[in-house]
Amino acid sequence: MAPLVQVENLEKRFGEVRALDRVSFDIEAGEWIAIMGPSGSGKTSLINILGGLDHPTGGRVVVNGQDISNLSERELTRYRCEKIGFVFQQFHLVPYLTAVENVMLAQYFHSITDEKEAADALRRVGLGDRLDHVPAQLSGGEQQRVAIARALINHPKLILADEPTGNLDEANEAVILELLRELHAAGHTILVVTHSQAIGNLADRRVELEHGRLARIHVPSVAKD
Amino acid sequence: MPIPLRFCGESEFVPTRSMFLRILWKLLGASRGRLAVALIALTSGAAVCSALLNVNLDAEKKLTQEFRTFGANVVIAPPSTGGDAALADASVMDRIAALHNSRIIAATPYLYVAANSGKQPVILAGTWFDQLAKMNSWWKVEGVWVSSGDDQAECLAGVAAARQLGLAPGSRVELRSGDQNISMTVAGIVTTGGAEDSQIFTRLELAQRLAGLSGKVSLVQLSVSGTAPEIEAVTSQLAGALTGLEVRPVRQIAAAEGSILGRIRGLIFWTIALILVLSMLGVLASMAALAMERSRDVGLMKALGGPVSRIMRLFLAEAGALGVLGGTIGFFAGALLARWIGGRVFGVEVSPRLIVFPVTVALTVLAALGGALPLRLLGRVRPAEILRGE
Repeated sequence: MAPLVQVENLEKRFGEVRALDRVSFDIEAGEWIAIMGPSGSGKTSLINILGGLDHPTGGRVVVNGQDISNLSERELTRYRCEKIGFVFQQFHLVPYLTAVENVMLAQYFHSITDEKEAADALRRVGLGDRLDHVPAQLSGGEQQRVAIARALINHPKLILADEPTGNLDEANEAVILELLRELHAAGHTILVVTHSQAIGNLADRRVELEHGRLARIHVPSVAKD
Repeated sequence: MPIPLRFCGESEFVPTRSMFLRILWKLLGASRGRLAVALIALTSGAAVCSALLNVNLDAEKKLTQEFRTFGANVVIAPPSTGGDAALADASVMDRIAALHNSRIIAATPYLYVAANSGKQPVILAGTWFDQLAKMNSWWKVEGVWVSSGDDQAECLAGVAAARQLGLAPGSRVELRSGDQNISMTVAGIVTTGGAEDSQIFTRLELAQRLAGLSGKVSLVQLSVSGTAPEIEAVTSQLAGALTGLEVRPVRQIAAAEGSILGRIRGLIFWTIALILVLSMLGVLASMAALAMERSRDVGLMKALGGPVSRIMRLFLAEAGALGVLGGTIGFFAGALLARWIGGRVFGVEVSPRLIVFPVTVALTVLAALGGALPLRLLGRVRPAEILRGE
C-alpha cells in the first residue's frame, strides 16, 4: 500500500537561497511525524508546500495519490479544503467569530455547516462551555484547542501543525500534547513542525532538517506512554 | 454518530445561507467604526441625491406653471392677407373655452386700434383684464390694476405711453379714432419691458366701439402649460378646432423654457454624479483601511480552503448592505431636505416620490460597490505570507 505522503527530491528556492534541497521522505497513514531543525532549516517551507500554501521549485509531493506539485491556485484551494487540517502557532482564529463559528467557518468553506457537529468537536477538546466565546475571551490554550477542533471538523487526510505549543505555557502545552496523542491514537496522520524535544519524542519519527537538507530521520527511543 | 461526507467547491450540498449571513453580520459588527464612516458618506450622498431627484420632479412641474405667468406661448391670429391687418371674430374665445383643455392657463383677446391723444398717436389695446393679469402677473404696476370688468372708463397705460402723454395714475386720457372719441381714467401705469410699454390697455368692448369693429379681435394670446411636446399637442388641438385661423407656438419662449428646464435637469444630473463620486471616495478610503485590517482574516480563510470568489462575496455583500442601508436612510433624509429646498428655493411643497426610493438605493449600492474596489486586492493575499506575519 502506497504511503499517504510521498516527498521526492523536493526543492524550494527563494532567488539564490535554497530553502529546501532535494528532500525526500514518506509518511504512512496514521503516522505522527515531527519535523525538527534550527531556524532557517526549511521547516516552514516544507509544511507550506505540504499544506498547499506554496509551490515547490523542484521535485514532487504526492498526497493520498494526488501530485500537488503543479496544481493551480484553485486546485490547491480545493486540496487544502478537502485534505488538510491546519493548526498554527499563532492559533489564527477569526477574532469576531465565536469558537463554534470559527469551527463552522471550515465547514462553510468545505460544503455545509452543522452547528451541532461543530459544537461536538469543541466538546471533544474540552470546550463545551466556551462555544459562544470569541477568541479574545479564551486563553491561549483554549484558542489552540478551537484551532484543533477546526482542523479536525472536515476529517482531513493530514493534520499539519506548525509549532502548536510555541505560544503556550507548560500547562496548556500538556493539554495540547495530550490532544495530539489522542488524535494519533484515533488513527489521524499528523505532521508537526516543532522545536520541542518533548513533542519530537512523542512522534513516531523525527525528520530533522539542516540548511534545507534532510539531515536524518530518527525513531525516538523513549517510551511514548 | 455518522458524519455526512462533504466535498469542496462543486459540492452536492449547498453551503447554508444562514452561515453566510451570520459571518456577514459579524463582519458588519466587527468593523463598526470604519463602516460607520463609509455609511455616513453613503447616507449623505444618498440624502442629496434623493433630495435633488424629488426636487427635480416637483420643481419641473412648478417651474412649468410659473413660466405660464411670464406671457403667452401660443398665438392665434387670422392669416395675414398682405394688406390691412386681418381680424378674427371674437367668438373664437367661446370656441377656445369649449375645448375645456386644462393646459390652457389663460386666453387673452386683443384688438389693436391706432388712436390719437390730441396730436400724439398711440396704440390702444382692447383686452380682457382678468386674463391679462393671469398671463402677465410679473408686470409692474404703479397705481392699481383695472379690477372691475364692468368699468369701461378705466385703462392701464404703458410706461412709455404714459411718459409721452404725460399720464399718471388717476389722470384722464381722451382718445380719438376716426370720428369716435372716448375718455378714460388711468388706473395704473404698467412697466412690461416690452412693446406693451408703448400701449394703452382698455376693455375689449370699448376698443371695439372706438374702432367701429364690434365683435372683432386682432389676435388671441394663450398661455399653455406643459412640456414642449404637450404644448405641441394643445396647438394641434386648437388648429383642428379653429379652422381659418393660424395657431402658432411662440418658439422662442418654448425653446427658452425647454432650455431652462434642460439646464436644471443637467445641473441636477451632474450634481448627483459628483455627489456619488464623492461618496464613493469616502467609502474607498474606509474600505482601503479595512482591506489592510482584514488581510490576515482573508489569508486564514484562504488557508482553510475558502475560494476567493466566496470570500469576496462576503465583502461585496457587506458593501451592498451598507449601500442599501445608506440609500434607505438617505432617501428619508433627502425627502426632508427636498421639502426644505422646495419651500426655500422654488416656493413649492415637495412631496417624496416613491420612484425616487429604488433609484436612490440603486445609486447608493453602486457607489458602495465602487468604493469597495480596494477589497478586491484581498483576492491576491497569499495565505502563507499572511500566516507567517509578513
